[in-house]
Amino acid sequence: MTAGATAPRFAPALAGLEHRLVDSGDGMPTIEVARERLHELLARLRDRAGFGMCTLVTAVDHLPAEPRFQVTHQLLSLEHRDRVRVHCRVPGNDPWVPSCVDLWPGANWSERECWDMFGVRFAGHPDLRRLLMPEEYDHHPLRKDFPQGGIEPDRLYREWDRKRRAGWSEPR
Amino acid sequence: MGSLRPVDPGSTSPAQPGFVATSANWLINWSRKNSLWPMPLGLSCCGIELMGLLGPKFDLARFGAEAARFTPRQCDLLLVAGTLTWKMAQAARTIYDQMPDPKWVIAMGVCSSTGGMYDSYAVVQGVDSILPVDVYVPGCPPRPDAVIDAILKLQKRIERENPLGRLLGPAVAPRPEEGTGALDYQPNRGLRRTALDKHPHDPKARFPIDETPPRRTEVQP
Repeated sequence: MTAGATAPRFAPALAGLEHRLVDSGDGMPTIEVARERLHELLARLRDRAGFGMCTLVTAVDHLPAEPRFQVTHQLLSLEHRDRVRVHCRVPGNDPWVPSCVDLWPGANWSERECWDMFGVRFAGHPDLRRLLMPEEYDHHPLRKDFPQGGIEPDRLYREWDRKRRAGWSEPR
Repeated sequence: MGSLRPVDPGSTSPAQPGFVATSANWLINWSRKNSLWPMPLGLSCCGIELMGLLGPKFDLARFGAEAARFTPRQCDLLLVAGTLTWKMAQAARTIYDQMPDPKWVIAMGVCSSTGGMYDSYAVVQGVDSILPVDVYVPGCPPRPDAVIDAILKLQKRIERENPLGRLLGPAVAPRPEEGTGALDYQPNRGLRRTALDKHPHDPKARFPIDETPPRRTEVQP
């Protein structure tokens, strides 16, 4: 929030929880929080501030910088007609954040996509499989160090071959 | 039609068995080519053109190939219409393996022929990476006329086949592209890693230089 602005509507809900309001430049209130307190913060936003809908879970890869990944949750309150964005920076050598599927079941596929594309794990996710790429693929395509020309899924061939020789035929 | 072995090896007449075999081949090919049962694998916008192809205006029934079935067990022509992603490739290969012999494949559109404009980690760069293809149809998407032309070319190809010789001839090892279900037919395998990664936007680097995919019969202009 810019200096001098009034405190956001959800400020009382977060009383006593360590977080930081940052200016995202687009006017949407944005909270930065450590991943140890991320789940508690999201739960409070849902239960005490009325953010009943999780519209987006994604990540940003700030490759040279450390901590490398920034996991972003965007929440929507239908009754108050406002949104909030939650940033959480995680290190590149151990990228995980707590899952929020227990709060919003609709975040399930968003978190799977984020794992697929960025390789950020979501601790406590009920079924953390890849969403778009085949399960045997080794890489996470939206990472900054993924080559522009793509990577041929070599292990894919070998896995299929091994399964087919073992009599496996049905796709998952 | 080519040379045919006698149907009855004990026969004394040199001409008669050849005539019988030739006539039987002609009959089998004639019935096969005029009753192709397509398995429509509509993966993207080419599938819309495929619907037009099967509809009354372009009327694929004129060529005996209108009986599209959505189970591969009843089909002998796989129409790959659209962008094949790596995730779908597994299912596409399974569908091909489930089709009974004899079977033919038409790659409809540039995406299924070469990957098209999707030079991407997620897209198979031509379905001939995982399947043997008989006829390639360019276009984005191709008009139904072009697919009709492809089917006519495929019919001409079927006319030249030798089903009786294949049935009665000596057991030949299956060609690699007609493997036993293993994904061992991959003419483009390793190509992206060696050539395309060095020149990621050089279109010539995508095609094999010393390796031509087998069973490529017709490339339409």
